[in-house]
Amino acid sequence: MTLLIGALTVGLILSLLALGVFISFRVFDFPDITADGSSTLGASIAAVLLVNGTSPWLATLAGFGGGVLAGATTGVLHTKFKINGLLAGILVMTALYSVNLHVMGKSNVPLLSATTLATQAETLATRGLGGAASLDVLGWDVAARDLAVLLSVLAITALVGALLYAFFRTHLGTAMRATGNNPQMIRALGVDVGNMTVLGLAVSNGLIALAGALLAQYQGFADVQMGIGMVVWGLASVIIGEALVGTRQLGLVIIGAVMGSVLFRLLIAIALRAGLNPNDLKLITATFVFVALVLPNLLTHLRARAGGGAHA
Amino acid sequence: MLEVRAIAKTFNPGTLNEVRALQQVSLDIEAGSFVIVIGTNGSGKSTLLNAVAGTCVVDTGSIRIAGHDVTRWPEHRRALLVGRVFQNPFSGTAPDMSIAENLSMAARRGQRRGLGWALSGSFRDGMRERVQRLGMGLEDRLDNAIGTLSGGQRQALTLLMATWRRPELLLLDEHTAALDPRSAEQVIQLSQEVIARDHLTTLMVTHSMQQAAHLGDRVVMMYRGRIIHDFRGAEKRRLRAEDLLARFEEVRRGEQLDESAADMLRRAYV
Repeated sequence: MTLLIGALTVGLILSLLALGVFISFRVFDFPDITADGSSTLGASIAAVLLVNGTSPWLATLAGFGGGVLAGATTGVLHTKFKINGLLAGILVMTALYSVNLHVMGKSNVPLLSATTLATQAETLATRGLGGAASLDVLGWDVAARDLAVLLSVLAITALVGALLYAFFRTHLGTAMRATGNNPQMIRALGVDVGNMTVLGLAVSNGLIALAGALLAQYQGFADVQMGIGMVVWGLASVIIGEALVGTRQLGLVIIGAVMGSVLFRLLIAIALRAGLNPNDLKLITATFVFVALVLPNLLTHLRARAGGGAHA
Repeated sequence: MLEVRAIAKTFNPGTLNEVRALQQVSLDIEAGSFVIVIGTNGSGKSTLLNAVAGTCVVDTGSIRIAGHDVTRWPEHRRALLVGRVFQNPFSGTAPDMSIAENLSMAARRGQRRGLGWALSGSFRDGMRERVQRLGMGLEDRLDNAIGTLSGGQRQALTLLMATWRRPELLLLDEHTAALDPRSAEQVIQLSQEVIARDHLTTLMVTHSMQQAAHLGDRVVMMYRGRIIHDFRGAEKRRLRAEDLLARFEEVRRGEQLDESAADMLRRAYV
């Protein structure tokens, strides 16, 4: 049960990463790999502030802000300096590795004795339950602290998802979606496509850094290596989400990305439990995304060929 | 309303592929007039339109729209004054977004876009009626994605979007060239209606002699980056498609004559 709750919690935290990747890869069709650096940036900013006694909410928000800056930097490199989008992301991601080391002052910051959102949720749960360490959920014995953390993460994810949905329905958000969908059209309607791309990447990386900040608090440390492979992870979640909801409707796509992230994390947890070597995790994730990208085309191709054979 | 002063544009200057698309072109359009620019491929008519829209920046010369010197304005800033319909029906609308959302973006052409709801109730109320006027039954499909519509329907919507807020200048870039004849007829009809109703200053590019003869109140003929004739007033009203064809033929032959004369002189003296 602890395993399940853990997987759900991490899945929900990383769904914010999936939403960020959804904005860059799907809304803008921009292969932004700043994420590997910006998720760690969010984690390291939050961790350092927490160790120094800053309020957890403020520290988390600061992590988000760091991601916004990182994303905006990638956007400016791409739109103002005309650097290829992929390369702009690589440059910022590489630079962020050093920045993250400077922010943390070392390669790893433990949060053992710091007050974090996770410890706050646990305190709240203990107080609410009158000190009971565990409770009964549908016949399962569940640790109250785990459940409290899961519920807080669920609340945060729901809030962020709803805010994102609302944003995409405002004048600004609608124009942002159109910028990715048809830049020529939105330019003719008076939108500066470059500025809109910078703003979109800022929001995207803000969410990704937010995921990093929450993950650091959940796992109790920030590490300079923790961002490696985050883009592919987020992309896998988005792809699963699209398969789950099978529509382009905005609200469902956002819910799909969250569900995709949770499901993917659950699958990984089960695979690890069944004896998968953790070292293979990123290889398997990358292979999964590869297959998910290639399979639809391959199926169409095969079907066309089968159809052609039937006619002959 | 539109003052184009001696603009020039050369593509790939100094290379083998050098194209002098516009050579000292000047054009004045009074408020409320409907001007048609006609020319063959490579005549510079589309470059002229793109120069006015801001899609391409001119090398020399100046452009003023409604009193503003827009020569150095980027394309998106000119959108405040200019409404546009493109040749490709896919260019003017966002395919994955609904009709209503596309219209809501057009309603803020050139305006600041804040955090207000794009589809407020009051906007929705007014929208239905204006879409109904297109006569395509789209008012019942406002929440459908634009990508599900036909080229003619998309072009009619693009026209509605370009004129949703009254533009100082309406630019139509061969906007029926990619449509089937029936849809083209429909879109031309709608264009005429809105231009007449809102007294829009319009610059329309076409290579259809028929359209040039029947529409608008002035025809500007372009050839090799220059304006070679300006039919206006009574001359425009008498104009038939055959006259335009004959005029083009004349220019072409005149040029051939020049070339053969040059050839003859070369052979005789060089």
